[in-house]
Amino acid sequence: MKENKHATDEDHELVSLCRRGDVDAFEVLVRKHQKRMLTIAFRMVGNYEDACEIIQDAFVSAYKNIKNFKEKASFATWLYTIVLNLSRNRLRQLNIGRNREAFSMDDPAPAGQSLSKRDPASDEPSILEKIEKKDVQQKVQGCINAMEGEFKEVIILRDVQGFSYDEISGMLKIPEGTIKSRLSRARNVLRECLKKVMGDL
Amino acid sequence: MECHAVQEKLSAYIEGDISSQERILVDEHLKSCVKCNGFLAELKKTISYIHNLEDIEPPAWMTQKIMAKIKAEARPEKGIWKKLFYPLHIKLPVEAVAVILIAITTVYIFKTIQPETKFAKVPSEKTSSQIFLEQRETSQRKQADKLTEIKEKGSKKGFEAEQPLSAGKSETADMETKQSKAPELFAKQDEAAPSAAVPTKGELKREALPAAPQPKVSEERKKDSIDFIVNVKDRETAGKEIAKAVRQLNGRITRTESLGGKDILTAEIDSRKLRDLIETIKFSGSVEEKEKVSEGREGVIEIRIEIVNEP
Repeated sequence: MKENKHATDEDHELVSLCRRGDVDAFEVLVRKHQKRMLTIAFRMVGNYEDACEIIQDAFVSAYKNIKNFKEKASFATWLYTIVLNLSRNRLRQLNIGRNREAFSMDDPAPAGQSLSKRDPASDEPSILEKIEKKDVQQKVQGCINAMEGEFKEVIILRDVQGFSYDEISGMLKIPEGTIKSRLSRARNVLRECLKKVMGDL
Repeated sequence: MECHAVQEKLSAYIEGDISSQERILVDEHLKSCVKCNGFLAELKKTISYIHNLEDIEPPAWMTQKIMAKIKAEARPEKGIWKKLFYPLHIKLPVEAVAVILIAITTVYIFKTIQPETKFAKVPSEKTSSQIFLEQRETSQRKQADKLTEIKEKGSKKGFEAEQPLSAGKSETADMETKQSKAPELFAKQDEAAPSAAVPTKGELKREALPAAPQPKVSEERKKDSIDFIVNVKDRETAGKEIAKAVRQLNGRITRTESLGGKDILTAEIDSRKLRDLIETIKFSGSVEEKEKVSEGREGVIEIRIEIVNEP
């Protein structure tokens, strides 16, 4: 899932076009990165509408600050950092306590309905399979929602998005060793939560 | 190695991010420990669950909405305008423009019609003052009539009704009031008496009123202007004739004014043509020269012709 060299170069070219006032070049970047950004935002805040707002704000912020972007970094990573920061702010606003409520089987996942609508009908699975899959997705997201912010971040970046420790370290501005130990604990928390939610793993 | 220590290492173990020495220790422990094996399986399953989380598809409108925001951001001047007038949107600028336009138009109209208002103001003032004076005259006359009536009645009453009552203490008091009343009435009558003279007073005032702005005019005009008074039968036609005469002699009419009872025509004319002009004006009426026209003057001179109705 790591970005290859070519993609990075392409982004840099587009970025320099944007700096010269080319709005269309920015649109290419928006189309290219919005999905992954939305995924990160959604996994962070657990709400589709909030996630959509976050990535809109993230792109506006990126456009305004495009001069501050350092060419040696990856533009994608820079964008994700903005998304992470905005997501953290949103979580703080939404009162973390609400999101940290222990996940319960009876509760529908907060993003359940909106998520189900966007579910792509990939290779036509049976309705039952679809429902089951949706159910699992909701439960996993429910457990992520219930996690502490710093655990959430490492789980999302490492296990959901598959970034390297180096990249994660760059985005979160924390050393790799801290990330590894935090990830270990985060997986443990999630394992326990899933065990509770699924009954058995 | 204890279970707790092993379980802490399992996360890194799964990723292969562990030293070979540690790996051997963990492997050895796992061979014998069911609990830790279970833990490992659960952890692997957990990670696979997270891996299987699907990407979130952005809504179709997302790119458009973002780009709309970016385009608004790209034009900062527009953004500032929008922010300034945000609650009113486009209304305020339009209103401001309208107000400015109205103000400009008002000033323009006022400036263009100003001489005309000056022209029209004096007669209107005159008429209003005339009306006022007339009203006062009639009311005064009425008042006078009433007063004389009252006086007559009062005196009659005084003689008829008060005389029988004149006996006793009240008599002196009554007499006193009567006495005090009587001069009052007389005084009032005195006031009312000149009612016959009022019209003349009014006329005087009327003449005085339009005469008032005259000094101002004379101040305005050049000192070396030549003044005429033309006595005519019909001011309007005479005025037109004189104006025509001035134009025929290549003169330029600078101003026409109408002040109560007379029209004043100010013009510039070549001094050589002045005599001809006077001759022409004589056809309209008798010409009076206020001061002797000095023949010595050269070039364009200013003349001021007062057209007055024949007495």
